[in-house]
Amino acid sequence: MTVELGHFALVLALALSIVQAVLPVVGARRNDDRMMAVAVPAAFTVFALIALSFAALTAAYVLSDFSVQNVWENSHSQKPLLYKFTGVWGNHEGSMLLWVLILSFFTALVAFFGNNLPPALKANVLGVQAWIGSAFLLFIVATSNPFARINPAPIEGQDLNPILQDIGLAVHPPMLYLGYVGFSVCFSFAVAALIDGRIDAAWARWVRPWTLTAWLFLTGGIAMGSYWAYYELGWGGWWFWDPVENASFMPWLAGTALLHSALVMEKRSALKIWTILLAIMTFSLSLLGTFLVRSGVLTSVHTFATDPGRGLFILAILVLFIGGSLALFAWRSQTLAPGGLFQPISREGALVFNNLFLTTAAATVLIGTLYPLLLESLTGEKISVGAPFFNLTFGPLMIPLLAAVPFGPLLAWKRGDILAVAQRLMTAFFVALIVVAIMLYRTSAPGVLAAFGIGLAVWLMLGALTDLALKAGIGKAPVNVLVQRVVGLPRSVFGTALAHFGLGVTLLGIVATSTFATENVLVMKPGDTIDAGGYTLRFDRIDPVKSSNFTEDQGQFTILDSAGQEVTDLMSAKRFFPVRKMQTTEAGIRTFMFSQLYVSLGDPVKDGVVVRVWWKPLVTLIWLGALVMMAGGGMSLLDRRLRIGAPARARTEKARATA
Amino acid sequence: MIFWISAALLTVGATLLVLLPLTRRVKAPVSDNQYDVEVYRDQLRELDADEQRGLIDSVSGEQARAEIGRRLLKSAKAAQADATIVRPQKSATREWLTLATVLAIPLISWGIYTKLGSPDLPAQPLAERLAKPADQSTPAELIARAEAHLMLNPDDGQGWEVLAPIYLRLGRPADAVTAYQNAIRLNGDSAARQLGLGEAMAAAANGKITPEAEAVFRHALELDPKDMRPQFYIIDGWMQQGRLAEARDLIRKLLVEAPADVPWRDQAQAALTRLDQEIAGDAPDVSDVEKTGPDASQVEAAAGMSGQDRAEMIEGMVASLAEKLKQSPDDIEGWERLVRSYVVLNRPNDAIEALDRAKKVLSADKAAKLDAVAEDLGLAVELEKD
Repeated sequence: MTVELGHFALVLALALSIVQAVLPVVGARRNDDRMMAVAVPAAFTVFALIALSFAALTAAYVLSDFSVQNVWENSHSQKPLLYKFTGVWGNHEGSMLLWVLILSFFTALVAFFGNNLPPALKANVLGVQAWIGSAFLLFIVATSNPFARINPAPIEGQDLNPILQDIGLAVHPPMLYLGYVGFSVCFSFAVAALIDGRIDAAWARWVRPWTLTAWLFLTGGIAMGSYWAYYELGWGGWWFWDPVENASFMPWLAGTALLHSALVMEKRSALKIWTILLAIMTFSLSLLGTFLVRSGVLTSVHTFATDPGRGLFILAILVLFIGGSLALFAWRSQTLAPGGLFQPISREGALVFNNLFLTTAAATVLIGTLYPLLLESLTGEKISVGAPFFNLTFGPLMIPLLAAVPFGPLLAWKRGDILAVAQRLMTAFFVALIVVAIMLYRTSAPGVLAAFGIGLAVWLMLGALTDLALKAGIGKAPVNVLVQRVVGLPRSVFGTALAHFGLGVTLLGIVATSTFATENVLVMKPGDTIDAGGYTLRFDRIDPVKSSNFTEDQGQFTILDSAGQEVTDLMSAKRFFPVRKMQTTEAGIRTFMFSQLYVSLGDPVKDGVVVRVWWKPLVTLIWLGALVMMAGGGMSLLDRRLRIGAPARARTEKARATA
Repeated sequence: MIFWISAALLTVGATLLVLLPLTRRVKAPVSDNQYDVEVYRDQLRELDADEQRGLIDSVSGEQARAEIGRRLLKSAKAAQADATIVRPQKSATREWLTLATVLAIPLISWGIYTKLGSPDLPAQPLAERLAKPADQSTPAELIARAEAHLMLNPDDGQGWEVLAPIYLRLGRPADAVTAYQNAIRLNGDSAARQLGLGEAMAAAANGKITPEAEAVFRHALELDPKDMRPQFYIIDGWMQQGRLAEARDLIRKLLVEAPADVPWRDQAQAALTRLDQEIAGDAPDVSDVEKTGPDASQVEAAAGMSGQDRAEMIEGMVASLAEKLKQSPDDIEGWERLVRSYVVLNRPNDAIEALDRAKKVLSADKAAKLDAVAEDLGLAVELEKD
């Protein structure tokens, strides 16, 4: 019964979503408070129903109910419990259900925290959220129903793709979806404002926490996905410019731009049209990502063409929402009053600079991702646009942007004094130069670019610290006062500094790993050793191990330091999953400070085994930097200044009485 | 039934939650612009704080204050103007939308669900299915239960012993082989288990008695010489290999040694008669095609066959002839037929190889005769080239 109740709850959620999509929006147009008031309970109820539905599907997975087709296709009774949970969203139907669950979760959050929003805006936002929700619920029910049943039920499932049986999968898609779908709130705010026609500085203030939240999760989701690919795929790479990665990276670039432009709108009431457009574009890119990943168009244009049902449905959703919102935008943007003016050299100017580069970068990634698909569908020719394209286009775009980052927060609003700011950044600049000089001195010719890259990373980190120090008033007060003042700084100032610092940390990791990493591929017999990054790796033996749903050959290694002392051991394995007849590689990784020794086991050969050994200097900084950025986002989110009160009824009533 | 009640409760609950606000009066609605005013007030407070901290100089502070002040004033004015907005307490649109909502929620949800759902199909968690009393379980469930048990206790020999013949009967011979092997490993050697293993191996090879299977049957025979079944499997294997004379001799020996009342006597006698005929060439021995020609039924069968099937049939005949010549090589006619067949089948290398083999075992005069035949067939030239 639980399964069918879950199915029913899903369908009921669709019905309710349609009500939520109509009544509040009509109410807002007609100044009908009662109709607008429907939005809040509807949002909560839809969330509760979808959560119920999701719980029912999860229960079916955990209890191995193979009368549910989705469970039968993607689970197995002998699978470890954790992966029975994660298997729920490790497939198309389940992941779409997770998608709408998160969407309804955000809608419920807006309803819950929305007391400080004007009722009409709130009703419209919740209404637009329900449009998206209805479309996707309809998509699930019509083409991807996870509750389809089989009678009689098979006795055993077909197992989950072994590559996906990993802890990274447990956290990565939900986090990525929290980011993707989180931007739906910004989109709904933009569309709601366009419907309402009231687009002002206050709007930007209301959107800020939602943009921050979505950005925070998306940052985490991308970083997690990158780390997962790094250690699970066993290639030692952490970013492949794969269309699936690009699909999440494009909304991140646009979302980062949105985060910055919304600041200008909030403070100066300027860049209104642009900010609204960015909010629409960011979520459109999220939708595009969902389409690319979920329609199967990436695997091959042909598989998409042979079974186009799902793909066409998402495409229709895509066209409807992107086209509709852009049409609304074109119609309304004429009526917007221009906002505050500013000089090119100013905080606003710096943020425009940021936006220009970020959106161009997003467009570059978009072209690199879509061009091969377009070419294949037109001419049938298959090409792959890989790292070389992105290194040549995306890389150069990032350099001026990153170099300019430390200036931004130090420039004054309206009109800034770039010379004064440059003076204040002198220390950071010279330290960065010294670092470049040292790097140039110590490395040979190919290290020149790397030296400047590392200098840029140092410049970013020190720039962020300089910003913090200056805002605390360094040099103007004694140390104990200074500490007090640092603590007393608004949290969003901390957030900015942390996020920019994290960017520097990630850059440092990227540059160090891509230029100083060493790779060795060799055949090792027991007792053989290989040097990597100042350590020596010794291959000891292969242990065959049997687990509940796979067998594996564990390669046992010992790591020795330069003095020949044993430091630690390391295990790298090749797993075989008999049910799916698939092999996976479990990389063996040991972390030394921020660097990692990465060992991947290849095929056995005559009296030995192929081993790939990488030394990855500072590689963990790539993801630690992302964590620091997330901390920055979280810090800004906690800024108590974001908690604007709702107008108290009593006060207004009193005002009315006196009037 | 419980399902329908729960579904109905969910529907009613959801509808009520949404309907409630439609019937309740909203107390003293606040103008939307008042919310903007609140934001700008907050921005002013923030500006004061920033100025105090020295994050912003007094000139910029003053400019910003003026800017925010203008926005605040504009919103406050708009808020006052909003007081004149008519907020309808009674509205026809609302009334018919309310009615539509009350109808739409159950109609949409029940409409779609009854089309897509399977309300009568109970949930079937695996553990529950496996815990059902044995007499209510399907065979598949019983097997799954045993498999789950053996996955956790792979050293339960009794379990493997029970499962093995079931696998064999269900047409899962590969699993049966594993199960018998485990049973032998854990419960020890026994004639019955070896016999089962042999049968499973034969089934896995589509009925062919492989050398491995024959070894297993021999072992079973050693353990229990009185059981005739392994013996007959071995004989079957010989017949498959074309070792007809050996098979015949063994059956004859068994029949002589056995008491008069053994139940297999009739069957063995029939097999013996058939073998005798076959060896004597009376029976339609498939390998004697060229000499006797295929019998009527074979011709008919061949006529109805596709080209591929026919080729396979002929290949099979030639193969069994070759096998026969291995057993009894002193047969000049047989060799001649084989070499001819290879030439007809366009397999000259095999023909030459057969010729070589024949010449090694045949006496000199017979070999010369065969050479003449080969020359006739145009093989001699190629022999010279060698």
